[in-house]
Amino acid sequence: MDWYFWIFAVIAVSAALFTVATREALSSAMGLLTVFIAHAALYLHLHAPLVAIFQVSIYAGAILVLIVFVIMLLMAPEERAGVIQANVSFRSFGTLLGLCLIGLVAVGVKGIAVLIARRSLPAGFGDPSVLGNLLFRRYLLHFEVMSVLLLVALIGAIYLCKNRAWKHKERV
Amino acid sequence: MATLTHYIILSSILFGIGAIGFLSRRNALILFMSAELMLNSVNLMLVAFSYFRADVAGQVMVIFVFAVAAAEVAVGLAILITLFRHVREVDVTKFNILKW
Repeated sequence: MDWYFWIFAVIAVSAALFTVATREALSSAMGLLTVFIAHAALYLHLHAPLVAIFQVSIYAGAILVLIVFVIMLLMAPEERAGVIQANVSFRSFGTLLGLCLIGLVAVGVKGIAVLIARRSLPAGFGDPSVLGNLLFRRYLLHFEVMSVLLLVALIGAIYLCKNRAWKHKERV
Repeated sequence: MATLTHYIILSSILFGIGAIGFLSRRNALILFMSAELMLNSVNLMLVAFSYFRADVAGQVMVIFVFAVAAAEVAVGLAILITLFRHVREVDVTKFNILKW
């Protein structure tokens, strides 16, 4: 199973370099998406299917969509103009994402048996049921604190984005 | 066989790339993305340790980190939008009103 780790390690590192190095913010976001997916694949390799699902749905889903929204909102039109065209960095991102998808498909078809035949772990290690039991019994207080934190962040974000004081200043 | 050392080296490299991006870029949004990169590398390290030590608590910790990252992004982007309304700029070097 060495190749699995190496493929996704190389994808993650090169996509991270792309994220940091590219000039356009949207390409950067796409590189970040590739990093997230490569991480999810590595989580699957490490017997953490629930974490992999959360990685895809929270990071690649919610957080990245939020970032892309803000990019669309804030970037000036002349900056945005260069983003859509099929330049070299965009193509290389396509290659990267394609490789990532090929890796995911490959493990889906072939790697499951190898994934299960790893070292001796306790039965059901990383199962969503085990994780849920832990989360709602031993770490229940932490979980509730997390929900309060998310609520506070939500209220804070709404409050910050509200259009107060902006109306009578007009600093456009 | 990928060992714990492999994962530690990988997540260290990713953290380093994120840190370099955070320190070298000027676009506030790319700064955010670099911070996400660093958070992700730490998550990878946590899951790797959880696997190689056969302890599920690491994965629970990662789920908490997800929640904190979501809160961080929501508030951070809200602050960024508020800043943008006042300065019309996402270049962090232009946010120098506190500089004496």
